[in-house]
Amino acid sequence: MVRVTSFYLSRILGNKIQNPSGANASLLDLIVDVSTIRPKVIAAKIKQSKDIKIVDFSLFEIYKEKGQYVLECSEFKEIDILNQDVIYLVKHIMDKQIVDMNGRKVVRVNDVRLALLSTGVFVIAVDIGMEGLLRRLGLAKPIKNILKPFKKSIQSKLILWDDVEPISSPRTDIKLSTSYVKLSTLHPSDLADIIEELDKKTQAQVFASLDDEKAADVLEELEVTAQINVLESLPIEKAADVLERMPADEVADILDDLKEEKAEELLNEMEKEASDEIKELMEYPENAVGSIMVTDFISFKTHFTVEQTIYELRKLKPEPDVIYYLYVTDNDDKLSGVVSLRDLVISEPETPLYEIMNREVISVMDTDNINSLVDIISKYSLLAVPVIDNDEKLVGVVIINDIVYELLKARKKIV
Amino acid sequence: MTKVKKSNFLTQLMLILGIIGPGLVTANADNDAAGIATYASVGAMFGYRMLWGLFIITISLAVIQEMAARMGVVTGKGLSDLIRENFGVKMTLFAMVTLLIANLTTTIAEFAGIAASLEIFGIPKYISVPLFAFIVWMVITKGSYKKAEKFFLIISLVYLTYIFSGFMAKPNWNEVFKNTFVPSFSLKSDFVLIFIAMIGTTITPWMQFYLQSSVVDKGLDTKHLKYERIDVFLGAFVTDFVAFFIIVTTAATLHKHGILIDTAGDAARALEPLAGKYAAYLFAIGLFGASLLGAHILPLSTSYAITEAFGFENGLNKKFKDAPIFYGIILFFIVIGAGIILLPNVPLIKIMLIAQEINGILVPIILIYMLKLTNSKEVMGEYTNSKTFNIIAWATVIFIIILTLILLVMPFVL
Repeated sequence: MVRVTSFYLSRILGNKIQNPSGANASLLDLIVDVSTIRPKVIAAKIKQSKDIKIVDFSLFEIYKEKGQYVLECSEFKEIDILNQDVIYLVKHIMDKQIVDMNGRKVVRVNDVRLALLSTGVFVIAVDIGMEGLLRRLGLAKPIKNILKPFKKSIQSKLILWDDVEPISSPRTDIKLSTSYVKLSTLHPSDLADIIEELDKKTQAQVFASLDDEKAADVLEELEVTAQINVLESLPIEKAADVLERMPADEVADILDDLKEEKAEELLNEMEKEASDEIKELMEYPENAVGSIMVTDFISFKTHFTVEQTIYELRKLKPEPDVIYYLYVTDNDDKLSGVVSLRDLVISEPETPLYEIMNREVISVMDTDNINSLVDIISKYSLLAVPVIDNDEKLVGVVIINDIVYELLKARKKIV
Repeated sequence: MTKVKKSNFLTQLMLILGIIGPGLVTANADNDAAGIATYASVGAMFGYRMLWGLFIITISLAVIQEMAARMGVVTGKGLSDLIRENFGVKMTLFAMVTLLIANLTTTIAEFAGIAASLEIFGIPKYISVPLFAFIVWMVITKGSYKKAEKFFLIISLVYLTYIFSGFMAKPNWNEVFKNTFVPSFSLKSDFVLIFIAMIGTTITPWMQFYLQSSVVDKGLDTKHLKYERIDVFLGAFVTDFVAFFIIVTTAATLHKHGILIDTAGDAARALEPLAGKYAAYLFAIGLFGASLLGAHILPLSTSYAITEAFGFENGLNKKFKDAPIFYGIILFFIVIGAGIILLPNVPLIKIMLIAQEINGILVPIILIYMLKLTNSKEVMGEYTNSKTFNIIAWATVIFIIILTLILLVMPFVL
């Protein structure tokens, strides 16, 4: 009899369980309490003759004899785990997809690594490597022996349990109560990449668990098909709440791709102010500057003083990418000049903007083609361009980021 | 944005048209190079005698395709994903090896089709096969195969001409109808073998994987199930409608004159009543489209199935070094598929038939996995198989197994 300190789940699954009553029993699954910091195995799902039971795992012993794992149980004591925060290792983890939080991607679990301590059995890692696959097939040892003379080894890859986010299968009726807490700590682009790799049902499920703010950031980063999928599966109120938190031009883009009825339903559900803005943007043809411009830009009146302007900026706290150029309009909202942050900082507080602004503003019409925008931006090395309408009124701003996205999209289409 | 509500009928129609696709496309792609060769051989060798088989296979096909589509709609997952998650690594490996063998032989058959069709235009296989192996690789890796797919599909619609040719060949309609509904059977091994090939070309392992992924890709919901069913049933009917006429046409023209099919040119002769001296060219165009379509779908869908099951990196948006196994399988399929055809003196039509026999022998394995999954409450919830579906699907499985056993036993009995 050899004491065991750590072992793989696959090595004990299906094994016979020795017990005083001599009943014919075998191990089907292990149930782990995930409410504590260390995930401890609290119960085992076993098959005794024909019955399937959930029994207390603290009465189990595991040791090794002649290279085989032996399971021993002093008494099959059935316990109730209904109200506990648990995960079934076979049902929810083994062979399933999980998120590797460090690699920030979806991977498939080949095996689970457990540790046997004096205080109980704990889950320490999941195996996603080739070695795990071969072990399950009973091929790991022979292949290792073959490779040994060549000084090569099979790639093994373990992910610590702390870096694992389980994703329940869409048809499992027991919801995993750990509702993707770890996932919401990821950067929205990483999270978007992960969501895209999941199947449609899980996509919707993970997305629904995010708070509105995070959901809006993630939605912006998703590919069109995933965007449509999550929007169609969310309850209409939640979907509207998420969309309200996004820039109007992005929402207009997404709604353009949705079914007309669904888009209309969402617009009706949203606050009037937001939906009006979006509707306006949606009227522009797809290749017009108007369809990609941002409408919640900031502008100042010609008679504002430098001090007033800086005071306004402090109040508005604009995003970094809209603060490069501050546009100045006259009383009819016509674009009359542009002031840079530098100009503001070096001028005396009481100077009015019309004295320091640059009157030679490069601008585009909202109905111009997007391609002309690219030329202008690269020609004058701009970070943003103001957009005016027929009456020369300032109606929006296009930021270079949005153009890069447009360009990438166009390139993808050609490929 | 229009605020006008569309009439109910129109919305319904738009909905149906939006959903229809995967079933019809998959079914049509199934009339590939090997399919044409098999149906044509069935007609040429045994006349109308196997029509009843096709009639029954059509029902099986519809039921089995519906199972795949339903699984895709309900779970949102591919077939290989489901196999891995529900049966573990060993059973997954078994399923994947089955798929690999069946699909590799089919890929070889598709390249045989490319070679055979272009030989009719006088292009030797030593030029056509390497060239198109390269083109297939480029189209797949450049990610433009979705567009190419539609193009090849349209070319392969040339096979609809068999329907007209079928009428113009003036078949004995009485015989046709009688044989469609009254079974006749022979225990001779060439009869059994071609019968298995006929099943294997109609209900293939790859189709189940491909159809399910297409359905998943479309993102259909359970509320679309009714329409997806129409799509799948229509697909099964249309494919076998074409197959039916290929058999009738070749039976009425080739079988009557005792011509067996050894080359693509022989199969083309069945189109003579319609196209006269242009028959060979017409046939070649269709065969070319169908083969090229298959040569794209098979490597790609096999690679997706295998990498998904084992959790290897995959996807056409990844670079070769990030997903080496994914691209490796595709490359392997194209190299072996084209390579075997380049061997001197390989009989092209024969290869297509052998591929379908292997498919037929292996298809029950995949069907058993599908039956297990579609009957599992855990996987399908309330959408498990109905009793009728189970009976038809199991009968198909058992029937093919019996045919395979006959094939194995016969050489010893006779």
